[in-house]
Amino acid sequence: MAAPTLDAVLTGLAQDEATGSLRVGKEGTVYYVRGRVSYVECAATPGVEELLGASGRISANGMRHARQESGSGGDGGALLVDRGVLSRGELEFCMLSATLDAAFFLLTSRTVRTRFRESDAHWLGVHWFFDVPGLLRECARRRARLERAWPSEELDARPVTPLRQIPGTHALLTRLQWELLLAADSTATPVELARRLGRPAYSTLLAVRELAAAGLVMTGETAALPKRTPKSPAPPREPGPAGSGLPQVNGDATDVNLLLRLRDALEAL
Amino acid sequence: MIGIEDCLSEAMSIPGALGAILVDHTSGMAVAGKGIPDPGRAAAGLSEAYRATLDGIAMASQETGFRIEDVIVTTGSAYHLVRPMEMMFDGPLLLCVRLDVERSNLALARRRLRTITDELVAS
Repeated sequence: MAAPTLDAVLTGLAQDEATGSLRVGKEGTVYYVRGRVSYVECAATPGVEELLGASGRISANGMRHARQESGSGGDGGALLVDRGVLSRGELEFCMLSATLDAAFFLLTSRTVRTRFRESDAHWLGVHWFFDVPGLLRECARRRARLERAWPSEELDARPVTPLRQIPGTHALLTRLQWELLLAADSTATPVELARRLGRPAYSTLLAVRELAAAGLVMTGETAALPKRTPKSPAPPREPGPAGSGLPQVNGDATDVNLLLRLRDALEAL
Repeated sequence: MIGIEDCLSEAMSIPGALGAILVDHTSGMAVAGKGIPDPGRAAAGLSEAYRATLDGIAMASQETGFRIEDVIVTTGSAYHLVRPMEMMFDGPLLLCVRLDVERSNLALARRRLRTITDELVAS
């Protein structure tokens, strides 16, 4: 008998209108309220507590106190709002953002060892809902979004290494891309950098793929010893975000200098 | 202080409002919407439009470290207002409202939109 897939377990709990928590191996937990998902935690992604801590709104100590105070079955989120740590809108956005981030990584898990604890609830309380099909659809949409940015998984789990020189003479960066390039030390992977910066892991993964598409980080193609996995599709030269169907023009001064030096060297022969 | 659902109801109460949607700009996801027939497509389109505006203005402007207050697009029958809200760790979150060009007052709508977004993220 084949073990049920994680999707099937999630859908089953939704149909049973379950309330409680589903532990997925050691990787994370999905919280249900009457068949709808209220929160997801994943070991690989920063949760609401870490995101709030990293933003400087509350100290680790303050968070611990709030957690103890809210007790079991309490509403820690409402307590934080009352204390003025964040607004209700921010709390809702935090919960939904962290949930989608965790779901993106947790729901691809191959672990089928799951354990359901009836009426177990997260200490932050319930502040946003997802239905299970909607959650699975959003994960698929996010996966497609990554593919559009840069259609290869090769960078997702590898250390991020910025290139010493950029192609062309200008680069346009988002705030997260800038922070990533500064934090990248050639040893930390995108998910590790996300934790370090206190950013959602998915946003970081997307930013790294966009940096790859812009030719600003080392990829298999630009590495000294190119080792391309046969599975990875061709790099997105033509349909890239900046591509216009025209060949790439490079007016880089260093190229001109190189040509001049080459000419001089040839003439000196 | 208001939550996400109230923020949309408030946006819909702006005179002439036809539809309102909250979009997570980073992922291009529709967080919630009212009066929007296909929120998924709308969110993807609006977040692309906002990204293009940001990049274009960054290249066109001498202003360093500028912030977009709002984006206004006028079509034959509607105003499209996009107002970004910086969230604490991600974002921005975009509040987008479509207004009937005949029945709305642009200046008033912009002011209302600012009040709503201030209430959503103020703590």
